[in-house]
Amino acid sequence: MKKKAKKNSPRNSSNGRDRRLSESTLANQRTYTIADYRLEKPSFKLRQVCKDDATCYEIEGDLTAPVSPIRESKYLDKKQCLEIYRWMLLNRKMETALENLYKQGKVVGGVYFGLGQEACSCASAYALRPDDWMGPMIRNQGSLLVRGFTARDIMMQYMAKAGSPTKGRDASSHFGDIEKRNVAAPISTLGDLIPVLAGVALGARLQGRNIAVMTYIGDGGQSTGVTYEGLNFAAVQNLGVVLFVENNLWGYSTPADMQFRVKDLAERAIAYGIPGIIVDGTDAGQVYDAAHEACERARRGEGPTLIEAKMMRMKGHAIHDAADYVPKPLFEYWRKRDPITRFANYLVKAKKWLTPSENEKLIADVDRELEADRDFAVASPMPEPESAAGGVYCEQGCHEIKPKYGTPQTKAATQRRPTRMEAAVHLK
Amino acid sequence: MPQLTYLEAIRQGISEEMERDPAVFCLGEDIGIYGGAFKVTDGFIDRFGPERVIDTPIAESAIVGAAFGAALTGMRPVAEFQFMDFIGCAFNQIVNMVAKAHYRWGAPAPLVIRGPSGGNVHGGPFHSQNPEMYFVHTPGLKVVCPATAYDAKGLIKASIRDNNPVIFFEHKYLYRRIKDEVPSEDYIVPLGKARVAREGSDLSIITYAAMVHVAMEAAEILAKDGIDAEIVDLRTVSPLDRQSIANTVRKTNKVILLHEDVHTGGLAGEIAAIINEEVFDDLDGPIVRITAQDSPVPFSPPQEQYFLPKVSDVVREARRLKEY
Repeated sequence: MKKKAKKNSPRNSSNGRDRRLSESTLANQRTYTIADYRLEKPSFKLRQVCKDDATCYEIEGDLTAPVSPIRESKYLDKKQCLEIYRWMLLNRKMETALENLYKQGKVVGGVYFGLGQEACSCASAYALRPDDWMGPMIRNQGSLLVRGFTARDIMMQYMAKAGSPTKGRDASSHFGDIEKRNVAAPISTLGDLIPVLAGVALGARLQGRNIAVMTYIGDGGQSTGVTYEGLNFAAVQNLGVVLFVENNLWGYSTPADMQFRVKDLAERAIAYGIPGIIVDGTDAGQVYDAAHEACERARRGEGPTLIEAKMMRMKGHAIHDAADYVPKPLFEYWRKRDPITRFANYLVKAKKWLTPSENEKLIADVDRELEADRDFAVASPMPEPESAAGGVYCEQGCHEIKPKYGTPQTKAATQRRPTRMEAAVHLK
Repeated sequence: MPQLTYLEAIRQGISEEMERDPAVFCLGEDIGIYGGAFKVTDGFIDRFGPERVIDTPIAESAIVGAAFGAALTGMRPVAEFQFMDFIGCAFNQIVNMVAKAHYRWGAPAPLVIRGPSGGNVHGGPFHSQNPEMYFVHTPGLKVVCPATAYDAKGLIKASIRDNNPVIFFEHKYLYRRIKDEVPSEDYIVPLGKARVAREGSDLSIITYAAMVHVAMEAAEILAKDGIDAEIVDLRTVSPLDRQSIANTVRKTNKVILLHEDVHTGGLAGEIAAIINEEVFDDLDGPIVRITAQDSPVPFSPPQEQYFLPKVSDVVREARRLKEY
């Protein structure tokens, strides 16, 4: 009796072991695919455990797998690869400079790092064209560089300088440009840019253009309701949103396993009715290819794509956070998969597109550029106190509002039918 | 001049702006073939096409976010909320994304969020609210609450043409109850300007939206007592017309502040502070507040009547104030 009860437990039947049931429902079985560009698939789990009266995270699984090579890009040529590599170097070195400036007491507030995520930021934004749009999250400083902001701009934001893109009014990556660079500024709450970027694509479409609009969300941020609302709206309206879900395993101090139950966040795409792709976020080639294909879909008017980039946030949430809740072996595993080391090895050793001395020269160039930008930013003045006033409203003459992509298309006027006056609701 | 209801005036205002400017488009729940829950956009989808009259999922944050995104490309979206009670669902988008955009990063947000608010229709706690004060409190937004059909049309047109985000509260009790002569030629009513709805000399009633009509009815009764009330209809509640508030107090020296919103944190408190700052020496009596009670809007008609400010409340308080 005992045994039989166990056999019929929900766990067993849901595993499809009841043959009759699975055969009768097979015809209606839906199958979905999630494209997976990765060459290696890390398999480990984090668990909360109690050790010596302290609760901590422990890692379970194989952390010894060798690092895979960079996946050969279907689209990138030598010149493009070298450009992406340079952006990644600039991204990393700018953040190192910011860390030093913070230690010197020159940064106002905190510093947010994209360490370990440079390939995801830089190679994704590199797939955009000038007319496309991008909306960064806090760690996508590399994406801002690729879109045409300078390291000087970003450093001045962090130092709250008068010459920063927001003239001292906001911090970190919280800035944008609707005129030239087509960047929508993020706010601190998560997921809110997704409907905004969908709206940008809608605006462009009303003006006769299908564009790609790229934005990002984390494994933590994707838990918000507005993430669902925004991407669902884009899906229903077939708007060219390219959403990078940057699964860096930690939402502040909470592991991804405590944010969602699906195995891969790319599976969420199934529920939106849009394509979902998984890439190794530390492989610039994969990130670019997925981004490029999604942008092309967007420009053809075929709607949004969800790309999950798997990687690891290699520092704390912000500079104040030592991330001592992260099991050390996890850092070691991902340190071996450093996106810049991997891409440098690919360019220098595998492709031989860059000699070791050319690589050194490139690094020195980036250092020189950064030094000049850092010195400029440090020497530039703080804003006058009175500059806090004004600008709350768009006053007469401060902006000319006009459609960016051309005159919106309108339908020729049709015969007006008499309007219905009765309210559909019972509230009269 | 043709007589139009408050609702028809809003409809005509939006549709004239859509004809005038191809950058204007509408989005919202059930606004297309169905024409909106209250039929404000009835017929729009046939005239302007489904591209410019977009039925959205039931997702208020997405509606506001998408409107803002489209505005960044130079469009002028008009987003309908089926009931303004549901605006809480989009609070973060409105208050953090949209309202702060121009100050933070210089991005204008020329969009209108419009929909029905207000009670006296037995809608209960979630179909009768007056949530304007959340937005009056937020720098970067403009908040409009028309009381007449003429103003409703002129103000919706001005709101659509404004380069800032405007929250446009349409009082649902007024939709089909009031009619005005509304010009068919193009006109706007400028934002931020109050009007004197009734000239008077003994005391002032400063109010807006449906309460303007309560004040007018009260003024007729008071006139029979020999009390001559002046009524100021604010029309725009943010930014407030400080000048018109000061002017009427200088003229009558006594003031009643009347609104349908609840008492604590309602607009009356802010207007009282303005009077204190601008014309304290002109006051000959205490500033009187008449508002709804501090509670959700109750459903059952007798309870709702108890909740709402009434003509009798205004008459009673005006007689009391006159004695000062």
